[in-house]
Amino acid sequence: MNGADRVRLLAACGGSAAFLIAAAIFLAAIGRPPLMTLGQMALYAFGDSYSLSESLVKATPILLCALAVILPARLGLITVGGEGQLYFGALTGTAIVVSFPNGPMFLLLPAVLLAGAIGGAFWSGAAGFLRARCNVNETISTLLMNYVAVLLVNYVIYGAWKDPASLGWPASIAFPPAATVPSLFGTRVHLGLVVGVIAALILHVGVTYGRWGIALRVLSGNRKVGAMAGFSFVRQTLLVMTIGGSLAGFAGICETSAIQGRLQAGLSVGYGLTGFLVAWLSGQNFLRAVPIAILIGGLIAAGDALQLYSKVPSASATILQGMLFVAALGARGLAGRWSSRYG
Amino acid sequence: MSLPLVKMSAISKTFGPVIANDDVSLEIHAGEVLALLGENGAGKSTLMKILYGFYRPDGGTIQVDGSVAAFASPRDAMAHGIGMVFQQFSLVTALSVLENLLAALPGAPWLQLRRRPRVAEALRWLHRLAPNLDPQRPVRSLSVGERQLVELAKVLNLDARVIILDEPTSVLTPAETERLYGFIKSLAADGKAVVLITHKLADVAACADRITIMRGGKVVDRATKCDRSSDALVEAMVGVGSLGHLDPPAPMRGNLPILRVRNLAAEVQARTISSISFELAEGEIFGIAGVSGNGQFVLAEALAGLVPVTDGDVVLAGTSIASHSDDGAIAADVAYIPERPLDNAVVPDIDLCLNLALRTARDLAFFPSRRNIEDRASRLISDYDVRPPQSALLAAALSGGNLQKLVVARELSRRPRLVIACYPTMGLDVLASQAVYREIFRHVATGACVVWISEDLDDLMNYAHRIAVIHDGRIVGIVRREEADRQTLGRWMAGYSEESV
Amino acid sequence: MADEALMATGSWVAAMLRSSTPLMMVTLGETLTQRVGIVNLGIEGQMLCGACTGFAVAAQTGSPALGLAAGAIAGLLLSVIHSALCLTCEANQIGSGIAVWTLGLGLTSYFGRSVIGGKVSGLAPLAGSKFSDVPLVGPILTQLTFIAPAAIIIVLVAGFWLYRTRTGLNWRIVGESSQAARALGLRPVMIQAQGILVGGLLSGFAGAILSVDYTQTWANEMTKGRGFVAVGLVIVARWNPYLVLPVVLLFGLSEAATLRLQATGLSLSPYLIACLPYFVCLLCVIIVSIREGRIGGMPAELASVFDRKS
Repeated sequence: MNGADRVRLLAACGGSAAFLIAAAIFLAAIGRPPLMTLGQMALYAFGDSYSLSESLVKATPILLCALAVILPARLGLITVGGEGQLYFGALTGTAIVVSFPNGPMFLLLPAVLLAGAIGGAFWSGAAGFLRARCNVNETISTLLMNYVAVLLVNYVIYGAWKDPASLGWPASIAFPPAATVPSLFGTRVHLGLVVGVIAALILHVGVTYGRWGIALRVLSGNRKVGAMAGFSFVRQTLLVMTIGGSLAGFAGICETSAIQGRLQAGLSVGYGLTGFLVAWLSGQNFLRAVPIAILIGGLIAAGDALQLYSKVPSASATILQGMLFVAALGARGLAGRWSSRYG
Repeated sequence: MSLPLVKMSAISKTFGPVIANDDVSLEIHAGEVLALLGENGAGKSTLMKILYGFYRPDGGTIQVDGSVAAFASPRDAMAHGIGMVFQQFSLVTALSVLENLLAALPGAPWLQLRRRPRVAEALRWLHRLAPNLDPQRPVRSLSVGERQLVELAKVLNLDARVIILDEPTSVLTPAETERLYGFIKSLAADGKAVVLITHKLADVAACADRITIMRGGKVVDRATKCDRSSDALVEAMVGVGSLGHLDPPAPMRGNLPILRVRNLAAEVQARTISSISFELAEGEIFGIAGVSGNGQFVLAEALAGLVPVTDGDVVLAGTSIASHSDDGAIAADVAYIPERPLDNAVVPDIDLCLNLALRTARDLAFFPSRRNIEDRASRLISDYDVRPPQSALLAAALSGGNLQKLVVARELSRRPRLVIACYPTMGLDVLASQAVYREIFRHVATGACVVWISEDLDDLMNYAHRIAVIHDGRIVGIVRREEADRQTLGRWMAGYSEESV
Repeated sequence: MADEALMATGSWVAAMLRSSTPLMMVTLGETLTQRVGIVNLGIEGQMLCGACTGFAVAAQTGSPALGLAAGAIAGLLLSVIHSALCLTCEANQIGSGIAVWTLGLGLTSYFGRSVIGGKVSGLAPLAGSKFSDVPLVGPILTQLTFIAPAAIIIVLVAGFWLYRTRTGLNWRIVGESSQAARALGLRPVMIQAQGILVGGLLSGFAGAILSVDYTQTWANEMTKGRGFVAVGLVIVARWNPYLVLPVVLLFGLSEAATLRLQATGLSLSPYLIACLPYFVCLLCVIIVSIREGRIGGMPAELASVFDRKS
């Protein structure tokens, strides 16, 4: 195991230890027995097949949003726009359903999914365009656009697309079966997970072994030198942002179709932000994002179960995510500092 | 012999595998100018940075006024009266001259407002060194020579008794160099000690009282000014018998122009060039002299096609190679060795293999063969003597000189029609420089034309067929080598064009 | 007629000042932080913590002033995490900011539940209601509390301090070049820590103003991205505290305008109208970015944060 791998392992161990300690302190502070609660959460996450399926359900949009962060990160772009792309994809996909509610499945479902992907691609591509052509920092633009996308969804579900049959609860019409993403093995786990894993594989192979990966690495290291090599920063920016956005948009429409059944408030419990966390935990690596997304999906599923059965508000999952992020960043930073000082 | 102001004994310093200073001892006396002479990489800068408190020595002691002193930071050194003017200036470019000088004044209370006596104190030396300089100007707008004077004023404001100058004349016009020599001698006459770090014999001849020569991290000779000839000094710097011989380039082949530059204008980050016109024949070396910061970078980038031109054109062998959009690309038959290779020529976080393959990256297969890239890289690394010869290293790990060799390897191993070389021997010692020149002349012999941007008038006058001078983004004059003389070139570099003689 | 127009103008000015004060404080805080070369995206989380804590303390103790102080301290405490991550652990600044934001989101969502529905007594207005008929200044004096003028004074003092004192000069040097700072004998890390903590104090204070003074409520995620808007406005204000004032006031004006639009019963959906502030901020950032490229006015040390991935 060479030096860099050793540092990464050290960081992972140190970070995990720090996180568990912090989590234990937090749980104790809110009056719950730390070890027992952590054990309970592990069971809620992966204890039986139902728990596992719920974790995978949560992991699907998280994985897709993580991929939407990792790909631009390979070009050196830091985007936090998963949430907005997810919402906008849900919006555009629902537009198809609302327009053609009685279409046949073999036409409607692909059209809905495609529209969702295109919506996310557009939302992300706009930020990419602003970065490539106007030099607008993509972190700020994607963060701001997140809020706009949520507001736009609210706009339609309170307004034009409000289903009169839903009795005051703001939501679109229910998705017909023809527009429902098929699920796997009779659980709530749906096609989106398969797409996510395949996308992770394809992106990993393409970026690691392909000329595309070289272009991304060179441009992210030095944009000018990339031009010397004949690579175009503008083109690559648009490419990675739209591909990433399409994955997040796809996640959005899948969530709407398969899990929620209709476009309504509360579509995402911060999947975009969680995807960002997963992307960073995985070291911007497509393959590593898959198991990490499943783990974090388990964390969130356990948080939900904790709220249901033990009356612990599910915001605890967000706190734990924040702690995990802090621990991971701190551990990795310290490990990097330690290794550069002592070789 | 009077008591030395500063005495450094048995100083040693290593950075990882590199031994920068090996058992070096040195004495600095008040009222005299000590020249610290040596090639690039000899360890002179490191030694003085240790004296200035930037680095801690791994071994050895420093004595100031007879008592041992250990400097934890430049602040300590400044408190002992030691000041240093760096090669890369430590001025803050976004702030004004006055603010930079105020910031360096010692002992200001934390809520110090800008009172008049304070300002007067800060400007004390500046008025003497550069009486016409407006202190409210942002440093960003100053020329290199002016910045150096501000740095010097900053150091003198601290009542420094020892003033260390790191390669000061490499960025000045001949006139500014003369003026600096005058200042150095008057500072010594005032009783201060001046240490002049340099690799140029002209500096030594002009003002040094004593000379200490370093090579490979060690002190190899000490002399007073008069008892060494310049040949002996050069031999001491590079080692006896290792000075090679360089054949001058072949004369030009024919007169048909292969490169036509017409009315070229471009802009990079608020620096512009305009009305640049010249024509080069096959096998011609066209030298461009000038103080750095006068548009050389813009010109080089525009010729290479990496920066959009705002006017004019560049035509190579009948095809236009100038770029008109933001996404520039360099033509296949152009070789480009940019200035500051770490910023402009390589990707620091990528290994040498990929950096060497950059020019052919677009022709790689969709899933390129790693083996091919590595083999080609190994060949180039050994052919051009890049050290350490490990193709898996990141480019950031190479020293400045080896980075330069890497870029030369990548660019000159092709078959260019046009070679754009900017300061191609920066950071290289004499032997490596000669190797680079030989490579360039090899291409010249096969008919390539060369645009050679350099600050070294001697090199240009020795090897270029014609020499142009660039000032403020324009070409102010072009002469043939046979007719060139330092004075005229120096005047042009300072901005006096042919008409205003 | 003229009287009515003056009253309306005064009322507008009051609304503009009230809605821009929180933004003013958080933008100033981030300006100072970025002036020492650090980007803190966690100010959104710090602002949330300030709002929640400030509201809780004010409701509990019945003293809005205590609530404001508590909010400022809450923001400060959260910014300590960002400082520890960026300076001690040398972690990536953007990642650290998002992590701090996540923590702030989670903590306020969790602990804020018990505070929802609480009541705070607001701060006293600048003048009693008998002044409300004075043209122009009447509505201003009766609708504003001491917060608005205090905020403006803080901004002006900060600008003076940054440009005309020795410590302000030191901060600017650290933000331009930590190398030059070290050559001058400064300790960049110490000054950067101070910059982050001051930013935390101001953003927490801003959040507390939002909950205790402006809206006098607490709702989950009530800052709605104002922290990120602030980051954008820092760029528009070119990292100059003096410019923060007009930039934020203009922004506050547009926000007050959207509230008025909603109140006039315009047939446009309130959600679309609520998009306006984000679009305005984005537009301003676009304009500034196009005109200046990456360089104009940005403290040089920030360039390495924005240009390199980590």
